[in-house]
Amino acid sequence: MIEAALGEDLFGRAKHIRRDIVEMIYRAKSSHIGCALSAADILTALYFGGVLRIDPKSPKAPGRDRLILSKGHAVTAVYAALAERGFFPKEKLLEYGTDGTTLASHIVLDVLPGTETSSGSGGHGLPMGVGMALAARADKNGARIFVLSGDGELEEGSAWEAMLFAGHHKLSNLKLIVDRNDLQDGVDGLRVSDVLDLNPLDEKFRAFGWEVDIVDGHDPAALIPALKKETARPHAIIAKTVKGKGVSFMENRGEWHGKCPNADEYAIAIKELS
Amino acid sequence: MRFSVIETIYKAGLKDPNLCFITGDLGHMNTAEFRRDFAGRFWNAGMSEQNIIGMAAGLALSGKQAVAYSIVPFITLRCYEQIKVDVCDHNANVIIVGVGGGFAYGSAGPTHYSIEEVAALRVLPNMKIVCPVNPTETRVLTEQILRAGGPAYIRIGRGKEQDFELGYVPVLGKAGVLRAGTDMTIIASGTIGTEALRVADMLQEKGFSVEVANMHTIKPIDADFIADRAKSRRAIFTLEEHSVLGGLGGAVAEVLAELPARPLFKRFGVADIWPEVVGSQQYLRDHTGISAEKVALAIKRILS
Repeated sequence: MIEAALGEDLFGRAKHIRRDIVEMIYRAKSSHIGCALSAADILTALYFGGVLRIDPKSPKAPGRDRLILSKGHAVTAVYAALAERGFFPKEKLLEYGTDGTTLASHIVLDVLPGTETSSGSGGHGLPMGVGMALAARADKNGARIFVLSGDGELEEGSAWEAMLFAGHHKLSNLKLIVDRNDLQDGVDGLRVSDVLDLNPLDEKFRAFGWEVDIVDGHDPAALIPALKKETARPHAIIAKTVKGKGVSFMENRGEWHGKCPNADEYAIAIKELS
Repeated sequence: MRFSVIETIYKAGLKDPNLCFITGDLGHMNTAEFRRDFAGRFWNAGMSEQNIIGMAAGLALSGKQAVAYSIVPFITLRCYEQIKVDVCDHNANVIIVGVGGGFAYGSAGPTHYSIEEVAALRVLPNMKIVCPVNPTETRVLTEQILRAGGPAYIRIGRGKEQDFELGYVPVLGKAGVLRAGTDMTIIASGTIGTEALRVADMLQEKGFSVEVANMHTIKPIDADFIADRAKSRRAIFTLEEHSVLGGLGGAVAEVLAELPARPLFKRFGVADIWPEVVGSQQYLRDHTGISAEKVALAIKRILS
């Protein structure tokens, strides 16, 4: 068991976040449960592992670290983590998927404390992260910019434009976390490597002037030191993950990108996460 | 106009350390002073417009004012979704400066024409669109846009535009009258306003008193001006170096269509086709029916 900076049991936190994800998506009859479960441990490490320098009481502090969610599909995981961290009350999560809510199925605006950018269209996070990293460098405020990306969305050219720029300008305050579950949307178990092979991803980052670490994306003991690491160049953390992690029948199954659990599946999922 | 916009932004940047400038590999000569004096807030990001707009939004979301500068089609349509989501959805303080509106890059062919971007940008909430007629107006409106803040798009010519006395002080969002007249009003936008002035000369010879208005701000459109002229004029024409669909003509038509009564109305712009030839800007204007000669001829036919 890992004791986090906040003195909390990180595995317990991750379970809370996963239960909230399942709850939100089941109630909303929504989708993208596999994507959110995949990123739950990364978000736990960021928000509860003493990584992000943020304060729920002052969510707009100029020198705060930024987390840009580029993989908008995992928005329920971010909402759950923000509520768990105290940015807004947990009851707010029950609004997810209801008419008129500000909790969109992808982040819409920074209308919720703790969210930084809209998301939902792939390949947008890293360019915006580059801009924020440049601003933090100009302001010398010590802010670090974390971008959480899926691996499928690295098929977008905009991500590579930004990688090239960040490497050229040695943006050492920029970290890209790749949630590397290697599963593309689809019921037929399509792997990212079947669609457009990103391998060898670490070598690509190095060739673009980045430092790279490959870690187990579900192990806080591996994630936290990587996320805290100071580098001289932009830093890519390839977090090897399992889509649907934590719910046995969802793990590594592509169809849980778009499927919503039925009542029986919901009950089993909650039981497994208790 | 390039020099006017760059000089205005440079002067503003001397006063405002939060002003940042990103060029998409354009203006190596014009931006030498930026490079020299704005270390840490000037970047040539190369040919990577999606990244340029995204990073401009990121800078703006961190409290900066970011100007993104390149040739019109590349800095508007190549990265349109970034403008929609990263800039407009966030209401981010990003100002896009597009060089070479219309057929300014005539001999370079359709990849470099910009005859559709105003229509595309006009539907994005929060976006302001400005198309100045000459260097003086470029200077004044760029100052106003920098003060008002983005999202905004400034569409300028390629360079070497003649300067001339405007006869009014440009105000963002308010049409300016380049030439007084009482029978009819030609509403133009952008550098083609000089053609509208020639149309007025040609029609005056035939005894018509023609007003030439410059709708330099296409969004927000000056609906009051249009409504006023709709009451007092026999005819209203629009002239733009852009598709007849969705740009100035479309914006004016939308206002006119919702008025209880309206005068004769006709849009002059580029028809909904690809020009199959290349040539100078003036050649292409004539080829597509938006030169002064072609427009004057068409108006005479309409009125006879």
